[in-house]
Amino acid sequence: MSEVTSRGFDGFSDAAIDILRRRAESLASEGQGEAQVDLMSLLLFRLADEWYAIRIESVREIYNDYSITPIPRVPDYIRGIVNIRGEIVSVTDLAALMHMSGQLEHTMDAEQSSVIVASTEECVSALLVDEIGDIVEVPANALEPSLATADRGQADWVSGSVYFDGRLVGVINLEKILTPIGENE
Amino acid sequence: MVEFDRSAFIGKFQEEATEYLQRLNEGVIMLEGDPGNRELIDQMLRDAHTLKGSSRMVGLLEIADVAHKLEDIMVKVRDGAMVYTPDMSDGLFEALDMIVFLCENAGKPVAAEVDITDLIARLAVVSEGGKSDAPMPSSAPTLSSTAGAAESVSEAVPPDSVQAVREEKLQSKAQNTVRIRIAQVDHLLNLVSEVVISQIKAEQRVKDFRRMQGLVNEISQFWARMKAQYVSLLAERGDQLGDDAEFLGEQMADLKRLVVMTAKDYIDDTARTSTVVADLQEHSMSLRMLPVSTVFNAFPRAMRDLAHQYKKDVELVIEGGDTELDKKVLEEINDPLVHILRNAVDHGLEPAEERVGMGKPAAGTIHLAARQEGDHIVIEISDDGAGIDPEKVKAAAVRKGYITASEAKAMSDREAQYLIFETGFSTNAIITEISGRGVGMDVVREFVVKRLKGSLDVLSTPGEGTTFHLTIPLTLAIIRALMLRVGDRTFALPTASIEETLRVSASETIKVEGHEVIRRQRRTVPLVRLCDVLGIEGAPSDGGKIPIATVGFSGHRIGFIVDSLVGEQQIVIKNLGTHLRHVDNIAGVTVLGAGQVIPILNVPELMENGRRMAGMRVRESNGKKNEKSTEPKCILICEDSFTTRELERSIFEAAGYKVETATDGALGLAMLRDGLKVDAVVTDVQMPNMTGFQLTKAIKSDETLKHLPVTIVTSLERDEEKAEGIDAGADAYITKSVFNQDTLLETVERLIR
Repeated sequence: MSEVTSRGFDGFSDAAIDILRRRAESLASEGQGEAQVDLMSLLLFRLADEWYAIRIESVREIYNDYSITPIPRVPDYIRGIVNIRGEIVSVTDLAALMHMSGQLEHTMDAEQSSVIVASTEECVSALLVDEIGDIVEVPANALEPSLATADRGQADWVSGSVYFDGRLVGVINLEKILTPIGENE
Repeated sequence: MVEFDRSAFIGKFQEEATEYLQRLNEGVIMLEGDPGNRELIDQMLRDAHTLKGSSRMVGLLEIADVAHKLEDIMVKVRDGAMVYTPDMSDGLFEALDMIVFLCENAGKPVAAEVDITDLIARLAVVSEGGKSDAPMPSSAPTLSSTAGAAESVSEAVPPDSVQAVREEKLQSKAQNTVRIRIAQVDHLLNLVSEVVISQIKAEQRVKDFRRMQGLVNEISQFWARMKAQYVSLLAERGDQLGDDAEFLGEQMADLKRLVVMTAKDYIDDTARTSTVVADLQEHSMSLRMLPVSTVFNAFPRAMRDLAHQYKKDVELVIEGGDTELDKKVLEEINDPLVHILRNAVDHGLEPAEERVGMGKPAAGTIHLAARQEGDHIVIEISDDGAGIDPEKVKAAAVRKGYITASEAKAMSDREAQYLIFETGFSTNAIITEISGRGVGMDVVREFVVKRLKGSLDVLSTPGEGTTFHLTIPLTLAIIRALMLRVGDRTFALPTASIEETLRVSASETIKVEGHEVIRRQRRTVPLVRLCDVLGIEGAPSDGGKIPIATVGFSGHRIGFIVDSLVGEQQIVIKNLGTHLRHVDNIAGVTVLGAGQVIPILNVPELMENGRRMAGMRVRESNGKKNEKSTEPKCILICEDSFTTRELERSIFEAAGYKVETATDGALGLAMLRDGLKVDAVVTDVQMPNMTGFQLTKAIKSDETLKHLPVTIVTSLERDEEKAEGIDAGADAYITKSVFNQDTLLETVERLIR
C-alpha cells in the first residue's frame, strides 16, 4: 500500500489499477468482517489528475455508448444532451464546473470517456469524467469536512472528503452540482 | 345565456375542497391543543378564504356563505379580537360538516334537509360575540342533527342505513371510472411516443425497400438483355449458355420474387401498423383530453359578476364547448381567458347609453368560441364594443417613447394594434384611454406564448368591436417541423410558424441601416443569421444561393438565414430533461429515427431575440434608457401568488429594474440575511410562513437591513390593517384595488431616491 500512498493513482497502467481495485475490494471486505460499522459506498472517478467520489445511491448507471448533442446558450459546463433509451439527459462536464486545471487536456477526449448517470430527487444528469474507478466502501463516519485550504471555487462542489488508500478523496456534493438550470427565467 | 352546466366544474371543486376540508378539520383539532399557533391560524384562514372563493366560482353560494363565516371567525382569532377556546370547535366542526354535506350534494336542493341559515346565524354569534367563554347557543340540539350531515336528512332513517346508501353510491361510481395519476398517464404517453418514433423509422425504411425493389428490377432487366445478347453471340459460335448462367438467371428471378414479396409484406404491415399506431397515439393522447367546457362553464357565472361589477349589461355566448384540449393546456388557459374577458367587459364594451346612442343594442355581446383547426385549437373572444383605435394607440406609444412619430406614420393599423402586446405597454397609464389599467395584454400573451406554445392575435375595427384569436396546439406532444442545418448542427423549426422557405442570391438582399432585408410580397422582411441568434458558428458562405426560412409570429416576420434546409417531417417533442428546465431559444428536443437528438427551436423566443438583432425591437420605456449608465436597481418581491408575482416582476423589469423574488416572507428574509443586495422590498401581506408585516418588522429591526424601503402591496383595505402595516415600519402601503403599474413604480422609485 505504501507505493500507492506515495505515488497516487496517476501514472498507473490499467493492469496496475486493476490490482489496486482487487486490493481495495479485499480491504473493503476485511473491514466488513471486523466490526459492524455503517458503511458508505462510493464510486471513485478521476477528473484530470485528481480522484473524486460519488455516493453510490446517486448513481443510476454508467453509460458508454453515447453521442452528445450540443445545445446553444447554456452554461459552458453543460456539454449538451444525450439520449439514454428514449430519456433525454443533460451532460455535465464536472471538470469545467469545478474549474479544474488540466481542463484542456480533459476536453480533448470528452467523447471517449464514460459518463456517470447521476440523479438527485430533482434531476438527472450524465456526469462526464475522465476515468471511472472502483466502488469502495468506507465507514459512514469517515467523511470529513473539506479542507479549509481547498480552492474556494471547488469547496462548494465537494461535501467532504474521505481518506482512502492513504489518499484524500473528495466526495462530490451532487445536490449542489445538479441545480436545475433556467428555472427562473 | 348558455345553460350553465356546472357538473363538469363541480367535480374539480369537490376534489379541491376535500383537501382544504381535511386540512381545516385537522387544523381545528390542532388548534384546540395550541390555540395561539399563529401559523396554523393563518393557514386555516387562507384555506377558508380559498374555499369561499372557489365555491363562489362554481356557484355553490351556500358553501361560500358558510366559509365566509369561518373566515370571519379566523380573522378575529388571528387579530387577537378573540381567543380560540375548545368550545368554539363544535361550531367550526359543524360548519365544516355542513360544507362537506353541501359539497357532496352539490347542485341538489338541500334546503329542506339542513338549516343553513340557522348555522350561519349561530356562527355569526360566535364571530361577533367574541367572548371566549360564551357557549355555542343551541349547540346541543343542532349538533346531533347536523354533525353527521347526512343524519339530518331524515330522522326516521337510522344512521347505519344512511351510511350504507353512501357506500353503495361510492361503489357504483368506482365501477365506471378509474382514477389514474397524471404521472402514470404521462409515462404511458412517453412510451407511446417511443413507439411512434420506431414507427416513423419503419416508414422511412419503406423507402429503402422500394429502392431495393427498383434495383432488383433493373438488375434482372439488365440480366435479361445481357443474356439475350450472350445467347445470340454463343449461337453464332454454335455454343449454348452454360448451366451456371442458367442457374444464375433462376436465382436472380428467385431473389426478385423474394424482394418483391418481402417488400410488399413489409410495406403492407407498416401501413397497417401505421394506422394502429396513429390510433394508439390518438387514443392515448385523448386520455388527457377534456372538453373546453370544463373551463368555459365557469364563465357565465364569472361574467355575471363582472357585468355587475362594472355596471354593464353583457350577454355571453359560448360556442364549441365540446372541443377537446389537452388537460395540461386546459389548466393553463383559464387565467388568460379570464383576463381577456375582464378587459372586454371593462374596456371593450361601452356604457349602455353610449351604445344606444350609436344604434347598438344596450346589452353588449361577448362571443367565446372554440374550434379545432388541424392540429390547433382556435379560441376566439369577440366583443361588439368600441374596438381599439390604432391612432390612439400610436399617439400613446409615441408619447411614451415606444416608437418615433415617423415610425408611427409608417405603421399599419394592424401593426399598431399589436402594440398592446408590447412588454409593459398596456399596463401603462397610456393605455387607460384605450383599454384601461388592470392586467396587461403583454402578460396574457406571455402566458399563451411561453406556457402554451401558442399565439395571440388581435383584430379590431374601431366602433365595431375587438376579436382576440388564441391559437393553441392541440397537444404539446407531436408537431410537424422543418429540419435545418446551421454549421454542423441540425435544428427543427415548427412548420406551423413558417411562412415560406426560399433560396435567394446575395444580390437579392438589400442593406437598410446596416441590416439586411429582403422584399417579399411588397413587404420588407428583415434577415437574421440563425447562427448569430443561437450563438454558434455557421458554415462559411459558399457564394451560392442563401437558404432562408421566413417565420411569422404575432404580426412580425423575420427571415432566418440558415446553412441548408433539409426537409419536413413529423416529430415527437420531448423536453430537455430534468436538469435543463429552460434553455433560451430551445423548446425541446426530438429523437430522429436513427436515434439522433435534434433540438427544437422555440419560435416566440427566436422571434424576440431575432427582432432585437435586426434592430427592430421596439424601444424599451424611456426610464430604462435614462438609467442605462448606472447599475440597475434591484427589487426583492415577496409574494405567494404566482400571477401577482410575475405581474409585479414584469412591471419592474420593464422599467429596467433587476428583480429577485421570494414566495413567502421567511424566504425573502433569508435571502436578505444571506447578503442579497437589493434597493427596495415589495411584499404581499398574507403569505405562508411569514407575513408581510412580520417581514417588515424583521427588516426594520435588523441593523444591516433597516435602511431598505419596504412597500406593502395588499388586498387588505381596512384601516386597522393599514395601521398595522405602518406600525411594522413599512414605508408605503398600496392596496391591490387601486394598484396599477404607475402607482407601484412611482412609489418605489420615490423611496429609492
